[in-house]
Amino acid sequence: MPLLSKIKSLLGLALFAIALVGCDAGVPEPNLAPAKAKAAQCVEPTADIRKNHMVYLDKHRDKTVIEGIRTTKHSLNECINCHVAPTREDGSAVHYTDAKQDHFCASCHTYVGVKLDCFQCHADRPQVAENPNYQHKLSSTTYHLSATTAQPDASDLLLLGSGQVQGATQ
Amino acid sequence: MSQINAYRRKFLAALSGVAAGSLASGVILRTVQAGDVPAKPADQPISNQVRWGMLIDINRLTDGGASMVEACKREHGWGNDPKARPEQQAQWIRTVQVTDKLTQHSFTLPVMCQHCAEPPCVDVCPTGASMKRADGIVQVNKHICIGCRYCMMACPYKARSFVHENLTDQRPDSPRGIGTVESCNLCVHRVDQGQLPACAEAAPQAVIFGDLNDPNSRISQAVKTLGGSQIRADLSLNTGVRYLGL
Repeated sequence: MPLLSKIKSLLGLALFAIALVGCDAGVPEPNLAPAKAKAAQCVEPTADIRKNHMVYLDKHRDKTVIEGIRTTKHSLNECINCHVAPTREDGSAVHYTDAKQDHFCASCHTYVGVKLDCFQCHADRPQVAENPNYQHKLSSTTYHLSATTAQPDASDLLLLGSGQVQGATQ
Repeated sequence: MSQINAYRRKFLAALSGVAAGSLASGVILRTVQAGDVPAKPADQPISNQVRWGMLIDINRLTDGGASMVEACKREHGWGNDPKARPEQQAQWIRTVQVTDKLTQHSFTLPVMCQHCAEPPCVDVCPTGASMKRADGIVQVNKHICIGCRYCMMACPYKARSFVHENLTDQRPDSPRGIGTVESCNLCVHRVDQGQLPACAEAAPQAVIFGDLNDPNSRISQAVKTLGGSQIRADLSLNTGVRYLGL
């Protein structure tokens, strides 16, 4: 039945076109407010830590678990204490799996589609109830992550996608 | 250099404090002594000169160890996993009641990882995740644990648990997660910072924690004078946790 198959292929084409239009809407813009906050105060230069944070964390974790070295410089706990607010302004808990993607780590990891499994085991936010002085000494007076959404600028996107974010850098 | 000197000075001061204390008031003291765990500089690795151990006098544990269990739960956040059935809940430390069938004499003791010098859980681990630190603490390196649970089978003390579900809001110093095995780690994060394990702090009248390798430590003195039995001593595992009054 040629007519039916024609209709079928037309339908298929239409669906494909709709899907394409969906794609054309572009990559959703990442919420970079959490990542940009306190970038200047990090333990390593921003460009370095953006590219190599996993290397630092990986080295530090083995030193800690096996050799008992508990310096704070590259400790995941300290990253969290400084960069993640325990709650949002409305009092809800900040978790890395939240759809809002305002968790410091999730804001980039979700955007670039890199799986983040530290927090299957590790706490993804500071615990205030037991330790009210949880915060890094750097973070006490500065910007807190929860509310504002900053627009990413060109250099952010360049760094984020290593120059491969199409159309975003122009 | 000055940091190392300060460390040595603190360590020696702690030692002399322990010696004076034990001379003055017998072997088991009611107060927790800071000198039991000399603070280690955070950037120094642990040393095999130390072997951490714990001596538990069960006659002085009026509650049979329940307060120790509670302290451990608070410190590490286990025991309340939302989806786990009661028999699946993690158990880093538990109280065990023992009754002599003949005399009906009954007592309760807290049982956790015994921190063996020859740990069977380490022998069987296929990835090296089940490990003994240089200072004798046996723990799971969850970064490389694949959740096979051989170690749970191998442990004669039933000390290990498995996490079956996704967890959130773990304690920052005690990561716990789905698909990994876990057990008492003698509160490594506390010991590394010169603090006592949570359970030892919760029952200072009955528990001595310290360095078994140091002949002058309170625990070595106590073990020397009072003895201290191992559970399943027949297995020759040379446990770091010892009991008085079994």
